[in-house]
Amino acid sequence: MTSTTSTPLSGTGRLKQSATSAGNTSRRRIRKDLLRSRIAAWTAILVIGAFGLLPVYWLLATALSSPEDAFQFPPKLIPTHITFSNFTALADNDQLIKYMINSLVVASITAVLSVVVATYMGYSFSKFRYRGRRSLMHMVLASQMFPQALLLVTLYAVFSSFGLLNTYTALVLSFTTFTMPLCVWMLKGIFDTIPDALLEAASIDGASRWRTLHSIVAPLAAPGMIAAGLFAFVRGWNDFIFAVTLADKEKQTLPPGLVSTYIGEFQAAWPELMAASLVVSIPVVVAFMFLQRYLVGGMTAGSVK
Amino acid sequence: MTTSGISRRGALRMFGIGALGVAGVGALGACAPSPSNSGSSSNGGDTKSKDFDFTSWSLNEEAARPSIEKIIAAWEKAEKSKVRAVSYPYNEYLSQLTLKLGGGETTGAIHLDIAWLAAVAQMGKLADLGSVAPKGGYTDVALKSGVYDGKQYGLPWNTGSIGVIANSKLLEKAGIKKHPTTVEEFEDALRALKGLGGGVVPYAAATKVAQLKDIFPWMQTFGCTLMDGQKVTIGDDASVDAVTWYKKLHDARLIAADVDRFDARALFGQGKAAFYDDAVIGKGVTSAQSKDKTLADAMQPMQRPVLRSGDRPQALLWGGVIAIVNGKGQDAATQFALHTTSDLATTSEYFATRALPPSTTAGLADPKVAKDTFTTEWTEKITKTATGSPFWQFAQNAQIEEAVAKQVQAVLVGKSKPKDAMKKAGEEVAALIKR
Repeated sequence: MTSTTSTPLSGTGRLKQSATSAGNTSRRRIRKDLLRSRIAAWTAILVIGAFGLLPVYWLLATALSSPEDAFQFPPKLIPTHITFSNFTALADNDQLIKYMINSLVVASITAVLSVVVATYMGYSFSKFRYRGRRSLMHMVLASQMFPQALLLVTLYAVFSSFGLLNTYTALVLSFTTFTMPLCVWMLKGIFDTIPDALLEAASIDGASRWRTLHSIVAPLAAPGMIAAGLFAFVRGWNDFIFAVTLADKEKQTLPPGLVSTYIGEFQAAWPELMAASLVVSIPVVVAFMFLQRYLVGGMTAGSVK
Repeated sequence: MTTSGISRRGALRMFGIGALGVAGVGALGACAPSPSNSGSSSNGGDTKSKDFDFTSWSLNEEAARPSIEKIIAAWEKAEKSKVRAVSYPYNEYLSQLTLKLGGGETTGAIHLDIAWLAAVAQMGKLADLGSVAPKGGYTDVALKSGVYDGKQYGLPWNTGSIGVIANSKLLEKAGIKKHPTTVEEFEDALRALKGLGGGVVPYAAATKVAQLKDIFPWMQTFGCTLMDGQKVTIGDDASVDAVTWYKKLHDARLIAADVDRFDARALFGQGKAAFYDDAVIGKGVTSAQSKDKTLADAMQPMQRPVLRSGDRPQALLWGGVIAIVNGKGQDAATQFALHTTSDLATTSEYFATRALPPSTTAGLADPKVAKDTFTTEWTEKITKTATGSPFWQFAQNAQIEEAVAKQVQAVLVGKSKPKDAMKKAGEEVAALIKR
């Protein structure tokens, strides 16, 4: 019969075993720590994700609820009876389509105007040295310090005098007052990153300043310009107070239009409002999906030199 | 080391430029040609013009728009005139109206909440309708709702009040045979209702800042006048007693935390609240969003309980008036306002679609209105003794209500004592009035 008892290990063997066991323990500990940190990271991601996505979920859940369910108190996290009637009702509302077209027109023109003007201003601030340049730069930024109400009252008086009230022009010009300063600074930062040597080389090759800006600088700064344009578009798309004050029903944009349609003196039609908000946010979401890489690149382009 | 890129000198420069800019913007606005001198946008102009504007927030609202458009269309056809309908969202209405009235953009007839009349009248642009009002046959209480500083600036369109609505089914369940008439009886009723269990909030009273102005009628119930001449009386013993009582209800869970008008309607609609405060229109609004289709029958108007038997029940006057802007289309707009607010057929039809009580004696007596027992009882029990807020005369009314509401909420959440809070509220209101 063969004995199965193990032979005692020699000193080296013991050392090896203890080293192996220590290695195993350390690996286990490392694995455990890794697992723990992964769990912590995932928990953090889930919590932050839930925090960020809850409003979107709430928007969707309310849009899919009947008015009776939407007014449940305390509110229910998961709707019990799902209905699409709030979405189908939108199709019958011509006025909302009109508001949406107004928003698209006004926000798009605002974005284009802001980028065009900001490109020239930003380029001038970045690449030319002249007296009063810094003051001008600060003046552009300082305009952001004005309370919106102050600007609004003044713009109202000015537009009224020039017969511009209730026109797209009034909306575009007023939106540009708050989109352009940040666009200028954003683009100036981007132009700062373009080496002067490139411009000098273009000049030596015979390109005029105009040509240099349009053929060399602008293509390089395109991601930043798109980012600035998106920023201006979203600000214009979301504005409420300027739109409600400076435009009548014919030229009204979506934010005041939605409030006018669904929030009344006695009742707020939350499910319909949420359904409408969801539908009208689709163009912006789609635009972001296509242009987000430019947005991230453009936003950070001027941050590191 | 990272820097912001803006030096101290730069920051100072920006500050200086900002200050100059603010002054510049103000100057630019001031230098802009006055709209009143610019022809079409003037609220001066041809007072005899048959065409005029009608501004109303209700023209935005699905429930109201068709019936108002019908009134306008009928007027245009009969008078061969053109009425331009203008509207802004209710929550933005006063600020938009103030801006546009000041800028000369608003002409003709304007629909006003009675709480806003004083603020708008103070702008000096409204016509005195004193000679027209007697032709309407309005009730006394309705007529008074259009008066500011002794002048009739508004013709009353709908006159009601904010009072207490009771759920008779829940009261019955709790063994409450009749509406409580005193504060003591009310408290007993609330305790009995609490005994029903099932998450019942006996009184869905406002506890959120947005609607805590509902405390004012309770303060008045306890004897606080809110104002005595030009002196603010919030902070007196009566107001402290009222808030102490409210806190007692809150701590005993007879009223719930974080409730505004929307929540109160939702609770009441689900049969989880036996009493709540609302305007007369609350019946339609709350029953429409309730799954219980029999709720409307169970809703009853209730006089606000009084401190001692024989006291006058308190309620806040509520309603809308039509005012006329001096200038273009003034005469035709005045006739339109008179017709809209007092023509029997027009007011009865408007009542049939919106359940808003007419402001004329004939309108209230009309069979279409009289057969609606909820409205007639409301008018008899609540509107009869309702009064306007003394703070409505101040343009800072909204800030006043908010200042008091914040102090009351501080008491409810235990951050402040009723006496300290009311003293502070009184001081804040006094400061706002002086501004």
